[in-house]
Amino acid sequence: MAITILAPVVENAAPYNADSDDSLSVASDEDVEMTGTSRPHKRQRLQGESNIATGIVTPGEVVTDDPQWMRGHGTYTTPLSTSIIATVAGTVLKTNKLLSVTPMRARYIPEIGDLVVGRIVEVQSRRWKVDVAAPLLAQLPLSAINLPGGILRRRTTADELQIRTFFSEGDLVIAEVQSVHQDGSASLHTRTLKYGKLRNGVFLAVSGTGGSGASSSSVKGGRGTKSVAGSSLAAPGGSGTGGVVRSRRQVWTVSGANGGGDIQIILGVNGYIHISKLADGAEAASSATENVSITRLEEMASSSIYSSQNEDISAKTRREIARLAQCIRVLVQNGVRVDEETVMKAYDASQEVDLEIGDEEDEDDEWRQEGREYLEGAKAQQILQYVMR
Amino acid sequence: MSNQRQASSASQVPHLSPAELSYLYTSLSLPKNPIRPDGRSPTQFRPLSAETNILPGTNGSARIGFADGTQAIVGVKASVEKTILAADTLDSRSLAQHGDALNREGEEGSAAVSGQGEWVQMSIEIPGYRDDDALPVFLGEMMRESLVGSVAGGSEEVKEMAGGLKGRLVINKRWHWRLYIDVLLLSQPLAYPLPLLSLTTHLALLSTKLPKLKSTGEEDPFFDDDWAVAEYLYPRSNKQSSPSDAPTYPVRPPVTLLVIAVGENVIFDPNREEIAVADAVLAISITRSSDSENMKLLSIRSIDPPSRLTQPGIPNSENVNMLGGPPASSNQSGGQEEVGGVWRPRRGGVQRSVITRMIKTVLQKGGVGEEVIQGLEGVKVE
Repeated sequence: MAITILAPVVENAAPYNADSDDSLSVASDEDVEMTGTSRPHKRQRLQGESNIATGIVTPGEVVTDDPQWMRGHGTYTTPLSTSIIATVAGTVLKTNKLLSVTPMRARYIPEIGDLVVGRIVEVQSRRWKVDVAAPLLAQLPLSAINLPGGILRRRTTADELQIRTFFSEGDLVIAEVQSVHQDGSASLHTRTLKYGKLRNGVFLAVSGTGGSGASSSSVKGGRGTKSVAGSSLAAPGGSGTGGVVRSRRQVWTVSGANGGGDIQIILGVNGYIHISKLADGAEAASSATENVSITRLEEMASSSIYSSQNEDISAKTRREIARLAQCIRVLVQNGVRVDEETVMKAYDASQEVDLEIGDEEDEDDEWRQEGREYLEGAKAQQILQYVMR
Repeated sequence: MSNQRQASSASQVPHLSPAELSYLYTSLSLPKNPIRPDGRSPTQFRPLSAETNILPGTNGSARIGFADGTQAIVGVKASVEKTILAADTLDSRSLAQHGDALNREGEEGSAAVSGQGEWVQMSIEIPGYRDDDALPVFLGEMMRESLVGSVAGGSEEVKEMAGGLKGRLVINKRWHWRLYIDVLLLSQPLAYPLPLLSLTTHLALLSTKLPKLKSTGEEDPFFDDDWAVAEYLYPRSNKQSSPSDAPTYPVRPPVTLLVIAVGENVIFDPNREEIAVADAVLAISITRSSDSENMKLLSIRSIDPPSRLTQPGIPNSENVNMLGGPPASSNQSGGQEEVGGVWRPRRGGVQRSVITRMIKTVLQKGGVGEEVIQGLEGVKVE
């Protein structure tokens, strides 16, 4: 029971079989006739009428050398030839005469208004640098945070000197993207009572909304080709389709089962997730937030926005937090999008699975009892089936 | 500088906030029943996938992948080499081994030449590290020392394994095998890669075959061309032998397990976050000795726990940003006392009883060590 060793699973051993030849390359305009000469690279074609690489292309692979196509995102051309070469690994997307490659997996691209969870990696004199899983570090200026007590005033040198008392390296923050610069880096702000330092819980990083912004609609039900073995060697989020998507609610509260109490889940659009016990008094504050005027901000600003001291968290709550974290991991490892709906479904499913197993197994067996809360592996399958139902 | 520090410490520690560290530590140190962030039980390993004989050009090879995406490949190559007999070329260490071997010769009365530890060469490649960085060198030596140190007991049914792996490498007085073990970590080291590398090496050595020797005695060695009759480096237990016999426990390569202690709890196969809050990190090498069914302890190394280097949390009472908190003048406390929910880097050692428990959990009959070795045995070699 202590160790499980599985035979390796071969994933997608034959991605280029005849029937699925064109299925991975999405054509938005089917009537384009593609004729051409033989392709310069060595992958064997089973149906030779088109000269556009299909399936998954890798960086450096020639997508086509037909001059009628225009290059789009994820491709480049050299001045001396007409061939379009992929720069990312992904599927080919055709829009009229535009060829682009949608990456299977990409870093998060910030957009204004996104709710993100980030980790402070660097403290500078007037700003923090925050890791938000984007290609560049985001910045959080000192002027974009709430001062303790909600005082509204200019930031002085005194504030600059004690900048580490607000956030220091390693701290987790929840923030919103205020603006996106020319180079794609983001500026954040935490000027809402809900935003600030995170505590009382666990952090986990999964893949977020990357590339051309995998929206929730295109990802639904995307587990057709992916093998659902929990034992696969794929890295978390490696499937490309899974991950956090932009949705209506990124933050919500769950009432934990088995006496777990209230648990808050924050799904950062960037794929960083924080699951924590709902802080005492946070509910009252958030319900009152709507009608708090700017003059009363001082009273309403929670006194604990910069606290790094955890509250008392019961073992039951910790267990449910761990279970929620695992549910999300199961979803991501199997390429299912992560949002409120799927997480809650998976959470319910995990409890049902536990109940079933609890009935089957001998309760006295000590070894069987151990590790029951580990959801990855065999249980992941059952949970997924329930979620996809 | 910071890179160097990370390399010597137990892993590339993620930056964790004091609140996270405190949460993790409290969860893991809950008496009797730690809650791991991924819901495993304290002795449960992450599921891994394993296969052997994946490299056709080697004498033995294996690949193991953890579910978190880290995987390693190990290849074992053997070559015949002439033994240098002159005593003056031996350095002090092999002199000691030589003396040790002389004693054993005296006991057993055999004329066998003892093997030398240098005949096993191990190189470890970890992406992002040079081969002379601290981490690969330390890992390599840690695994090699348990490998050459694993000496079988003197029971007669495993005659060829007398003297352990070193003895197995001796062909005759003038010739011996030299073993090159190349360990390649394919992924970034997400956690401390020692258990992964050790399990893979174990599996590769189990699958290693040496060609069958046709010459006898002190002749120059020549070998059977037929690879089908090649012999395993570590002899397999022949299941056909009558079950009425006393069960034999074949000699096996060592396995190094990473065990951490958090509070009173002993936790196996820690992931990166768990190592980050550990009070103590031990690498325990075990093997199965041939003369008893019990596990045999080969070595214990303690690894610098990275929690030492983390930032302490600030209790609310000292936080200048808290409303109603005292001004920063109340600094005389120095933050020595424990406040619930506030992270303090672990200072000092762990209790002796905890260390004892860690070793016992590995070694005891039906314990984790036995299960791991049995599990690896179950991987189909061939």
